[in-house]
Amino acid sequence: MTTRPPSAFARSSALSANSPASRLSPAVTPEVLVAIDHVDFFYGATQALNDICLQVEAKRVTAFIGPSGCGKSTLLRCLNRMNDLIEGTRLSRGTIKIHGVDIYQRDVDVIELRKRVGMVFQKSNPFPKSIYENITYGLLLHGRHEKKHLDEIVERSLRGAALWDEVKDRLHTSGLGLSGGQQQRLCIARAIAVEPEVILMDEPCSALDPVATAKVEELIQDLRSRYTIIIVTHNMQQAARCSDRTAFFYLGKLVEYADTRDIFTNPTNPQTEAYVSGRFG
Amino acid sequence: MIESPSALPNPNFAVQKRRLRFLGLTIDDTIRAFFGGNAFVAVVVLALITFFLFREGIGFFVQNRFNVELYRQAGLEYVDHIRRQADDHAALSRYLSDLRLRQFSILTEREKRSLADTNTALAPFDTFAEQFSASADPLRALLSDLTEQATALKTKFVVTEDRKEERRQLLAVGKLAEAAAVEIVAVDFARELQPLIAMLPTYQTANRDFARTLAELIERPPALVQVELASRLATFQRFTRDYVAGFPAIERAMAAWDYRQPVPVWHALTSFIFGRQWLTASFWQDWYGILPLLVGSLLVSLVALFLAVPLAVGAAIYVNQIASLREQRFIKPCIEFISAFPSVVLGFFGIAVLGQALRTLSQQSWLAWLPGFPFSERLNILTAGSLLALIAVPTIFTLAEDALNNVPRAFKEASFALGASRLQTVLKIIVPASLSGIISAVLLGLGRVIGETMVVLLCAGNRIAIPDFTQGVAVLVEPVHTMTGIIAQEMGEVVRGSVHYRALFVVGLVLFLLSLAINYVAQGIVRRYRISIG
Repeated sequence: MTTRPPSAFARSSALSANSPASRLSPAVTPEVLVAIDHVDFFYGATQALNDICLQVEAKRVTAFIGPSGCGKSTLLRCLNRMNDLIEGTRLSRGTIKIHGVDIYQRDVDVIELRKRVGMVFQKSNPFPKSIYENITYGLLLHGRHEKKHLDEIVERSLRGAALWDEVKDRLHTSGLGLSGGQQQRLCIARAIAVEPEVILMDEPCSALDPVATAKVEELIQDLRSRYTIIIVTHNMQQAARCSDRTAFFYLGKLVEYADTRDIFTNPTNPQTEAYVSGRFG
Repeated sequence: MIESPSALPNPNFAVQKRRLRFLGLTIDDTIRAFFGGNAFVAVVVLALITFFLFREGIGFFVQNRFNVELYRQAGLEYVDHIRRQADDHAALSRYLSDLRLRQFSILTEREKRSLADTNTALAPFDTFAEQFSASADPLRALLSDLTEQATALKTKFVVTEDRKEERRQLLAVGKLAEAAAVEIVAVDFARELQPLIAMLPTYQTANRDFARTLAELIERPPALVQVELASRLATFQRFTRDYVAGFPAIERAMAAWDYRQPVPVWHALTSFIFGRQWLTASFWQDWYGILPLLVGSLLVSLVALFLAVPLAVGAAIYVNQIASLREQRFIKPCIEFISAFPSVVLGFFGIAVLGQALRTLSQQSWLAWLPGFPFSERLNILTAGSLLALIAVPTIFTLAEDALNNVPRAFKEASFALGASRLQTVLKIIVPASLSGIISAVLLGLGRVIGETMVVLLCAGNRIAIPDFTQGVAVLVEPVHTMTGIIAQEMGEVVRGSVHYRALFVVGLVLFLLSLAINYVAQGIVRRYRISIG
C-alpha cells in the first residue's frame, strides 16, 4: 500500500494525526472512519434526509436498509459527493467527515475524494472498453502509465474481485461481453484498482441471479479485511449475512443503527422490528 | 337412458358477433388498408423516380458516343491538334505580357519613371513580344480555314440527320408523299474530308517556318531593364524550346489520323467520368465531363464540413454534457432555428453580405499571410462553403447530440466515481462511446450539404473549370460550379431529349448515387453502434 496522508483529498490537511496509527494497529475499539453529523439533504424543495447522525467504523461492513425512497441511497451518494452531479441538490445542514475532514468544505478536491471513496453501482456499468482498459481507466486518470505496473494492478484487482481465473485469457475483449455477475465483479475490481479506503455499494446484487449474488457476497467477505464497505440493500438476508453493522432508514430518517445481530434479533424500535420481520416495506 | 349432449350451440355462450362492414371490409381492415396504402405509395414513388432517372440518363451514353464519333468523323478532332498548338502559343504570349507588366510596375513604382519614359525603355521588349505574337499568324490563318471546313461538314451532317428524323416523323403519321419529298443527301465523309487532309503539306511547310521563326526569335531575346527578371526570361525560353520540340509529334499525330478509326463504346462513359470540360452550346464541339462539377461539389462540401464539424460537435458536447439546464433550453432552439432559414435567403445573404465581407477581410494587410489572401472573387468556394456549413450545423448538432444522449448515464457516473474530471469523462468515455453516432451525424450532414442547391448556385461563383490545385490551399478562394447548381441552372433551357438534357440527368444520377452511398454508410455505422452499446 502506498503511504500517503489519509487526508490527501483535502488541501488543508488538518486532523490527520490520529488516523495512520489506528489504521496500522489491530482495532480493539473500532476506529470511526466516516462521521455523519445532523445531515439534512434536499432535492430541490424535497427533503430527502432529515437530521441523520451516523458513524461508520473502519474495516467493517455497514449495511443501509429500508423501504424504497427512505434515503439510504441518497446518503450513500453523499459520501463521495456523487449527488453533486444532480442539479438542484444541496446538503443544507450538518457535516460529513471522513478521517475527520469535512468533505463538503469548499477546499475539498472532489476528484481526490472519489479516488479515496470508490463506488459500485446497482446496475453493473463497465465501460464499452476491454476488461483490461476498464481496470486501468482509473489508474491512467491519475497519471500512472508504466505498463508493467498496470499489468500487476490489473491482475491483483481481478484476483481481489475473484474474477481473474474467469477472464485471464480474454483481458482484451470487451467488458460488455461478460455475464451480469461477472460485469458486477469487474466493476468491483475497477473500484479497488485505485486503492480506495471506502467502497460504497449501491444495491450491488439487485440485478443478479442467486448464484452471482452469492459470489459477490463472498467477495464482500474477502474485502472487509482491507476496505471499509458500506452497502445499500433491499435484501434483508443479505444485510444479515454480510454486514457487521446495520442502519435502518425510514422516510429520510435514521430509525435505528446497531450491530447487525441486534437489529435482526432484538430491535429496539417497533418500526425496525416490523420491517425486518417483513410486516411492511 | 341418458340423453346425449346437444350439438346445438348454447345461446348463452355468445362469442360470435356480426361486424359492421363497408365494401366488404371491417373497420380494422380499412385502417390497415389505409396505412398499408400510404407505405405502398412511398415505395412506388421511389421506384418511379429511380426508374425515370435511369431511363433518361442511360440514353446519354448512346448520344454522347454519337457526339464523340461525329467529332472524329467531321474532322474536328483533326483540326483540334492545330488548335491546341495555337492555344499553347497564346499562353506563351500571355507569359510575355505578364513579364512586361512586372517590368512596367518596377519602372514606374520603384524607379518612379514617367509613363513615356517607361514605354521608351520597354520598346525593344514590345517589339520582341509583337514579333513573337505575329509568328503564329500563318498558323492561325490556316486554323481558321480548317475550322470553317470542319464546321461546315458537321453542319451538313447534322442537317442530314434532321432530315432523316423529319422523314421518319412524316412516315409515322402516314404522309408518304411529303416523306418522299424530303431530300436526303448522305454525307460522304471520305470525300468531304479530302480538302482537310490535303492541307497537311501546307501545314507542315507553315509549321517549319513557324518553328524556325521561333527558334531565331528566342536566340536573340531583348535586354531586360531589370536583371532580377532574367530567370523568368530563361523560363520563357525553355518553355518555347519545349513547345517547338513538340511540333513533330503533332505532325505525326495528324498524319496518322483516320476518321474511320472507331470510337470505343466505353469512351462515352470515360469521356463523361474523366472529362475535364463541361462545354455546352459551343460553336465547335460540346463536351460533357463531370469532373469540374464533381470537384466543385466536393470542395465546397469539404470546406463546409471542415467548418461545421468542430462547431456542431463542440456545441453538442457542450449542450449535452456541460451546459446547465437553462443554457440548454436557450442554445438548443437557437441552433435548430438556423435550419428555419430558406436556403435562398442564406444565398442572398451570402452574395450581399458574406462574400463582400470575406473579400474585404482578405484585403486587410495583416491577413496577407493566409494562403489565397487577398482574393478578388467575391463568390467562391469559401463563401459557399461557409454558408453550407451553416446549413449543416443544425443537422450535425441534432444528431450528434442524440448520439451523446444515448450514452448510458451509468458510464458517466462510473467515470466520475473513479475520480475523473468532467473533461476526462467527456473525452475518454462519452465521446468514444458515441463516436460512431457522431461520425454518422457528420456523414448525414455531408449528404445534406452535397445535395444543397440554392446556396451554391448563388454563391459558388459558377465558373465551370477544375480549380488550380497547384496553388495549394489557395484553391479554396476560386469560383467553381457544382453538380446541383448546373442542373438548376441549365435544366430550364435545354431541348428535351437532347444530349445536353440527358447529360444533366446523368449528373443527377451521380448525385443520387453519391447521397445513397453516404446514407448507406451512415446507417451502417449507426446500426453497429446500437449493437455495441447493448
